[in-house]
Amino acid sequence: MNFEIINPSSTEELLGTIKSLQKEKFRFGAGCTDLLMELKKNPEENLTVINLSQVKDASFTGIKKTTNQFRLGALFTAHKIVINEELKINFPVLHQSALTLASTQIRQVATVGGNLCTASPSGDIACALVALEAQCEILGTTGKTRTVPVTDFFMGPRKTVLKSNEVLYSISVPVNNKLSKNILSGFIKVGTRRSMECSVVSIAYHIQTDEHGNIINAGVAIGASAPTIRFAKEACEFLIGKKLKHISHKEKEKFAEKVLSYAAPITDIRATAWYRKEVLFNISKSIFE
Amino acid sequence: MKEQLKNNKTKMEVLHEISFTLNEKKVSCKIKASTVLLDLIRDFFELKGTKPGCNEGECGACTVLVNGAPVNSCLFLAVNANGKNITTIEGLTNSDGSLHPVQESLVQHGAVQCGFCTSGMAMSIKALMNQYENSQHVPGEIRSEFPTRDEIKKYLEGNLCRCTGYVKIVDAAEKLFAKED
Repeated sequence: MNFEIINPSSTEELLGTIKSLQKEKFRFGAGCTDLLMELKKNPEENLTVINLSQVKDASFTGIKKTTNQFRLGALFTAHKIVINEELKINFPVLHQSALTLASTQIRQVATVGGNLCTASPSGDIACALVALEAQCEILGTTGKTRTVPVTDFFMGPRKTVLKSNEVLYSISVPVNNKLSKNILSGFIKVGTRRSMECSVVSIAYHIQTDEHGNIINAGVAIGASAPTIRFAKEACEFLIGKKLKHISHKEKEKFAEKVLSYAAPITDIRATAWYRKEVLFNISKSIFE
Repeated sequence: MKEQLKNNKTKMEVLHEISFTLNEKKVSCKIKASTVLLDLIRDFFELKGTKPGCNEGECGACTVLVNGAPVNSCLFLAVNANGKNITTIEGLTNSDGSLHPVQESLVQHGAVQCGFCTSGMAMSIKALMNQYENSQHVPGEIRSEFPTRDEIKKYLEGNLCRCTGYVKIVDAAEKLFAKED
């Protein structure tokens, strides 16, 4: 493993660095827990790493709450998500996904932006963010930003919509203040162990009801079941208008079938495609039990 | 590694100068960009208590504290140690050479067998103590005044031990918090 490194300490320096490296091979490193593993196994020649972990700007590292959203800087760590009480109350799915990510040590340095940009089909935080229909704010070298829904952020395994002159700036999660108390929200991760495990299959769900218990908003995303994390739109729409506490066995099965229609899993070292589908069907049903 | 650094210099490789606090002592050195903290600690500072296990962030044998929080030093770029406060197992021991309560408890509970995981395990337990001492760290993962057995297990999830079966290690950690009460 051998590379050069540049350590910008501000957004301005960072953009200058990205600009200056447009004709060279470069990678971003934040927590570096994925990047170093990759470079140890497959060293690249003449590579420059742009080290994001010394960027100090709060817009990159902090969290900001406004009336209708939480904005997490791309460098916000998994540990910071875990210990944030407001996130835990408003988005249990996000809290749980961060808490099941790798291990205590990895969570100290691993960032939310890294979890998205590594674009793994089994990304934990990423799966929760898809269920929450978060918005990605992307910063270009010109200093201009553009916003992309996280559901459109992934192009394939390890591929995102980021261009070579762009960097992920923040992730915003919409909050519905009226509804936040009536939620069924969580993250189910199936693997062979409970810690340090890459999901065999995972599901993130965030379902909100009105004061009468009728579902008025639903977000469901599946991980490790397709080339990218997928938002199960039809399954979400199926839930709208139903009473959360009175979903029949048949409706649960119908919901699970709709979730499953978004899955196109592969057989690999962790599980067979058949197993992934069976498990996904069962955990989809189990959300309501 | 000092030799290696010299060789690298002749290849016109850029060396990065970093300064940080290592076990309460201010240190500085010049390193390659790709040097990880584990290699810097073991090969340059010759502190061999931090163990290289899997070298891929799975086993936690190389756990050290960065500003009091546990990290896998095999996946931590040494350049990012700049300006930080790093504690290794050597820094856990009291200045008079006597063992830290974490180490004492591990010994008393027979929580050490081959010993390869022990320094990482001790650092993680110390980090958990830090989290409780520093109330700013407390919410979320941990709520009560001291951790439950399950919370200790969850916290130590990134430290593998292939000898003890963990029971005695968790016993040792649990006793440590009970004592503080």
